[in-house]
Amino acid sequence: MPDLENEIRNMIAEIVEKDPSQVTLDAKFFEELGMDSMMALEIMAGMEKKYKITIPEEKLTKLTTLRETVAVAREYLEKNNA
Amino acid sequence: MLNIEEIQKILPQKFPFLMLDRVLELEPGKKIIALKNISINEGFFGGHFPGMPVMPGVLIIEAMAQAAIIMLCSPKEGLADSKAAYYLASVKMRFSHPLTAGDQLKIEVEPIKIISGAGLVKAKASAGDKEVASGELSFSRKNG
Repeated sequence: MPDLENEIRNMIAEIVEKDPSQVTLDAKFFEELGMDSMMALEIMAGMEKKYKITIPEEKLTKLTTLRETVAVAREYLEKNNA
Repeated sequence: MLNIEEIQKILPQKFPFLMLDRVLELEPGKKIIALKNISINEGFFGGHFPGMPVMPGVLIIEAMAQAAIIMLCSPKEGLADSKAAYYLASVKMRFSHPLTAGDQLKIEVEPIKIISGAGLVKAKASAGDKEVASGELSFSRKNG
């Protein structure tokens, strides 16, 4: 299993243009990191490409913190490996 | 594959802001290849730049965005809706070669991730055998 947490943290930091240290596990994307729904779509697409997974649209609203986002990526990675 | 009459039925953009002349290939939702012929009569050449006609890069992005709209709402899909409004959200683009009068701009667009009401696409522009620009665009759509 790759270091999902750090890989996704760096991806998010690049999209929201913040230092990775600010993307803590529970920092709220929208309120604290200045994210908008289009950036969330970029994160979703970025994870799909990096991990060769497909994440359904309804999961977009789950992407609210790094912790939740890693959980979504892990869920679909596990489905792929099952 | 689509002529200018058909393009005009799909795109919400109208004269003088149509940045495509013809669609060569279209797989609805999957891929589009479209053309724009660049003439010295283009209005923007008057100021961009006097004595040195260069097509503005932002208009190449506009041509890519229009191709993306056609790819996503092909009449064959029954989704054509020229009342929908499209809002560009982000652009990641690298330009590698300038375009001038006489060039034929070829645009290729493929989806990266499309959801209801928004999308992220990969776009490439070329002229002859030269790559002109490549990158990604994201946009949202509000139905009219």
